Parts: sequence; C-alpha cells; structure tokens
Amino acid sequence: MIAYFVACYPNFEKSLEIIKKSIDAGVNICEIGFPTQEASGEGIIIKNAHDHCLQRNVTLKDTIKLAKAVRNYNNDVGIILMGYMSNIFKYPIKNFVSDLASVDADGCLVVDAPHELREENELRNLMNKKNLSLIKLVAPTTKEERLKKLSNLFSGWVYSLNFSGISGSKSANLEDVKNMIKKIKTYTDLPVCSGFGIKTPGDAKKMTQTGCDGVIVGSSIVEYIGKNLNDTKLPKNVGNIIKTFVEELR
Amino acid sequence: MSTEKIKNSLKTGSDKDGYFGEYGGIAAGENLMNNLEELKKAFEAAIKDKKFLDEFAYYCKHWIGRPSPIYFAERITNKIGGAKIYFKQEHLNHTGSHKPTNTLFQVLLAKRMGKKKIICESGAGQHWSAAAATAAKFGMPIVGVMGKIDCARVNQNLIKAKHYGGKLKIVEGSLREAITAAIKEWSNNPDYYYLIGSTCSSSPFVDIVRYAQSIIGKEMREQFMELEGKLPNEIIACAGAGSNFTGSIFEFLDEPEIKKVVVEAEETAALTNGTKGIQQGMVTKFLQSDDGSKSLGGSSLGAGIMYYGISPQLAHLKDIGAIEASTANDKELLETYKLVAQNEGIGISFEPAAAVTEALKRAKGKPKDYIICATACGRVEKDLDVIERLIGKDFE
Repeated sequence: MIAYFVACYPNFEKSLEIIKKSIDAGVNICEIGFPTQEASGEGIIIKNAHDHCLQRNVTLKDTIKLAKAVRNYNNDVGIILMGYMSNIFKYPIKNFVSDLASVDADGCLVVDAPHELREENELRNLMNKKNLSLIKLVAPTTKEERLKKLSNLFSGWVYSLNFSGISGSKSANLEDVKNMIKKIKTYTDLPVCSGFGIKTPGDAKKMTQTGCDGVIVGSSIVEYIGKNLNDTKLPKNVGNIIKTFVEELR
Repeated sequence: MSTEKIKNSLKTGSDKDGYFGEYGGIAAGENLMNNLEELKKAFEAAIKDKKFLDEFAYYCKHWIGRPSPIYFAERITNKIGGAKIYFKQEHLNHTGSHKPTNTLFQVLLAKRMGKKKIICESGAGQHWSAAAATAAKFGMPIVGVMGKIDCARVNQNLIKAKHYGGKLKIVEGSLREAITAAIKEWSNNPDYYYLIGSTCSSSPFVDIVRYAQSIIGKEMREQFMELEGKLPNEIIACAGAGSNFTGSIFEFLDEPEIKKVVVEAEETAALTNGTKGIQQGMVTKFLQSDDGSKSLGGSSLGAGIMYYGISPQLAHLKDIGAIEASTANDKELLETYKLVAQNEGIGISFEPAAAVTEALKRAKGKPKDYIICATACGRVEKDLDVIERLIGKDFE
C-alpha cells in the first residue's frame, strides 16, 4: 500500500503525526507531495491542499525536513517525494539530490518531467549515482514503442496511471487496468503499482485482481484530511482509514 | 532571402528536443506525451502538404482578410518629430486581432488529424473569440477556459464567442490559471485538439504558433518594399507569451541590422525581470518566487500582455542579443490609446498601445527616413468600457 500525503498539510507537526499513524497502520511507501501553485496534474482535492500549504509558505525544504522526520521514525518504510519540476529546478537539482540522499529517502516522482526534458536527464543521472530512484509513470495513452523506451529508465517501481486525466477525477476500469499492468510487465520485472481512481478499500481490493504489485491511494486520504483539519484525532483517524485499505490488500 | 544559405540561421524551429538554446522542451505529464508526439508529426507533415497550405492561404485571404495593410501614421509622426511611424494593421483582420491566423492554421490541422472537438485557453479573449469563430466556420465544437479577472473586462469577446457557439469555462485568476486549467481539460480528454493561443507551453506548440503567425513579417517585407522601397529599421510589437511579436519579427531574424523590440507589460515583464524556471509545460523565464512554487507579478490593463512567463524562443533570442526588451505601464497605455485615436482615427486595444508607446519613444529625434513599424495587433472594442470609465471625460 502506497499512500500519498501533501507535505505539511495541515501543518508540519500534524502532517508528521498523520504519516506516523499511517506507517503504524501498515503503509509500505509514503509518497510525500511538495506543494506548488500550478500542480497541472492534480484535481481540485489535492490542488486545494497544495494551496493551503502555499498560503503557509511550505517549501520543498520543509518537505525534505518532513521526510527526515519520517525516516527518523521508521527505518524501513519507503519514502518517495512527489511533485513538479519547477521546485526541484529552483532548489536546484544538484542540491535536491544530495538532500534527498542525506535524509535517506528512496527517490522521487516528478509529474511533469518526461525523459525528453533535458533537466529530467540531469536529475535522473544524479539520482542514479546516489542509488535513488526516479519513479517513472506509464499512462493508458503511452504507446508500446514508448513503453519499451521507458522500461530502460524504470527504477524502483513503476507508477501505472489507471486513467488519462488529473488526480481524483475519474474511476478506474478494471479490465483496462488489467491489460495495462500485463503490458507493462512484459517489459519489466520491477513492481508495478496502480494509481488514480482508487477511492475506497473496496476499490483497492478489486485492484489486487489486476496483477498489480501495489496500489496508490491519494485524493481520498487528502480529502478526508481536508474535511477534518481541526479534528484533534485526525492522525489517529487517518491511520484507521489506512488500516481498512491495508486489510483489504492482505 | 533564402534561409538555407545562411550559416547559423536563427530562422529555424526548435531543436530535436524542442529547445531553443537552453529554453523550451517538454515539461508535460506522461498522459499527454502521446498527444504531443502525434501533434508534432501531424504539424511536420502538414507544412509539407501543398494542398493544406493552399487551403490555409485561401482562408487567410478570403475569411480573415489578409494581408493586413501597413499604414503610415503621418499625424503622429509629425507630432513626435523624427522617424516615420508605421502600423502593421493586424487589428483589421476578421475578429479584430492577429489571433485568427493561428486559430485558422490549427483548426485546419485539427481537421487534418481527424480531431472532433477543440479545447483552448485565452487571456484577453482575442484568442477565444477567434478560436470560436474558426471552430464555427469548420463545424467543430469548442470549449474555452478563461480567468475570472479577464472575463470581467473583455465582455465583447465573450459575447462574440458565445454567438459563434463556443462554450466557456471560467476559472479563478487570469491567463496562467486558464492555461493550467485547459491543460487539465486536455489531460482528461486526450482525444481533443488543444488549440493554444500563443507561443508558449510544450514543444511543438511554440513552433506551430510561430509558423502560423510568421505570415505577419512576410507580409511586412513585401509591403514595405512596395511602399517604401526598403525595410523598416525597427520592428516593435507587444508580447504576453509572444505570438504577435514572434510573428512580426521571425521573417527578419537573419537581418541583425533591423532592430526588433518586444514590449511587455511593466507589471508582468518576464523577459526583463523573470528568472529561468520550469512551469506551464516549458523551460523559460518566469516571474516566480525563489523556490519556484508561486508566480509573481502585478496587474496590467492589457489583459493580453499580462502573463508571468514568455515564449522560450524569445527568452533565447534575448539572451543572444537578437532582440531587445522593453516595458510599458498602464498610464502609458491609456495615453497612447488616446493619441492614436485622436490623431489617426484608429482604436487600438491596450496591448498594441504598449508597442506604439515604445515606437513613440524611439522615433523622437531620429532621421526622417528612419522607419519604425509597430504591430497593431488588436482593436479596441474589448477595452472600450474600461477606457470610458478611466479616461472617458478626456474626450468630452
């Protein structure tokens, strides 16, 4: 089970507590999103969470700090930072990679950085040197020829998008996902994880029939956090939600 | 002038990765990569297809009304005392701006690709009204996205587009937000054609829009040779993202003796005050926070020049000294509008008023045979309410 969190949402301490409780509940990989204004791949739920954090001046540096605190709490959980090239480029790239390594994160995923982008190449090469994974995405619109090229660049695991569109906007079609996972697996031995459109523990359970090695849950967790920002039991409750997902995936 | 013969010609498109020097590229999500690849192939094939180009030329002439004339602004020239000031009258095109040339080209391309539906964004609504008109003409449904700030001030374009059958979605903000929202719409509907309005976003959009709009400079060459027997000394045009300016100067890029000056809104001058970054699908200069998470910049009366980024090709051309950049503020836009209206009987919109403002500054004291051409890329209709409110009494 991979869970996506917006860094420092609603604030650093609570965000860290939420992630800790999620790890306790059995999350295998934490995807920590660093907020940015444009967020061109995000639907309204995650976009609103980003805006909340930007208003409080949360930066990629804060996200790195959060990742460090998560690592201090747990040595085994996977930590992947997720976001957009804008922040990494300005960090700049070289420092980002060394900071990522120094907090003992496992890698990052950059939504708007296809391998055609030279700056992606720079990032990927530096990350490879530090044994960090730049997670690549495959979309339903990715053609076979391109998938073949991408498979040479896969590192860590593969993020398979269940539908073409922005996060939280549609539901996944099981048959399509099954075919896609199968197609990707002909090109790689790495784990293939399925994301987008997985809203309930029931959705997650269905996904296990597709042959994927893991599921990514994002918008529905972020939405719950957004609706319960001031609840003192928020971290514990998120942990309980995660538990219901994890149980279905067993 | 033959491009092929010039070594290191600047009149080329982007390189194989879609870059102009260190700017440009493709910073898009994986689900759009197939679309961009498909678009690039379709564009490259279309511009080698004589039938396609003939059709484009036919409608440029008979539907848009091209070529737009050049016009000697004699009374202003006399008032300023110096260089001869010309306008390239792009506002006389159908729909009232330089925009329909690009929308015509791309709707024809969309048709050629077998696309059935169109999405676009717009800032000042000039692109929106042009796109909606073109879509109506070719019987294609169209959805547009505009920012609330712009919708409130360019109502004429919204009404026109509605009458042409365009369906508009309104989002918070202005052009930046409209582009992001339109890209999201496209992500959700990858079978649509995304009809971008300017020389921005991922490759190959910058090349496509430049290709369509470079007709402006080609016409200028012929028209100046015919009327003056020589080319202008300076070409000035305004820029939001840069389609009007790029279209005006591309033809002359291998002629360094012709000065090329781009004018941005002082409040959102990405070329002058921006820093390199990666947003909105491209590597270019943006007005942005140090950490790249937020956009910066104020507000300009010129909705079409109020953009916090700039064409990657223009960022490159400025770096290598092939173009100069300047700015104009709201006060200047209003003064220039008034001057042009009262002396030439021409109502230009706020955006070209930025270019004419710069032309006036540069013309003063120059020799009488020095020629400056400013592209008048839009007519005033959309701005009339704002002008009337701000300086209406000046005309009483």
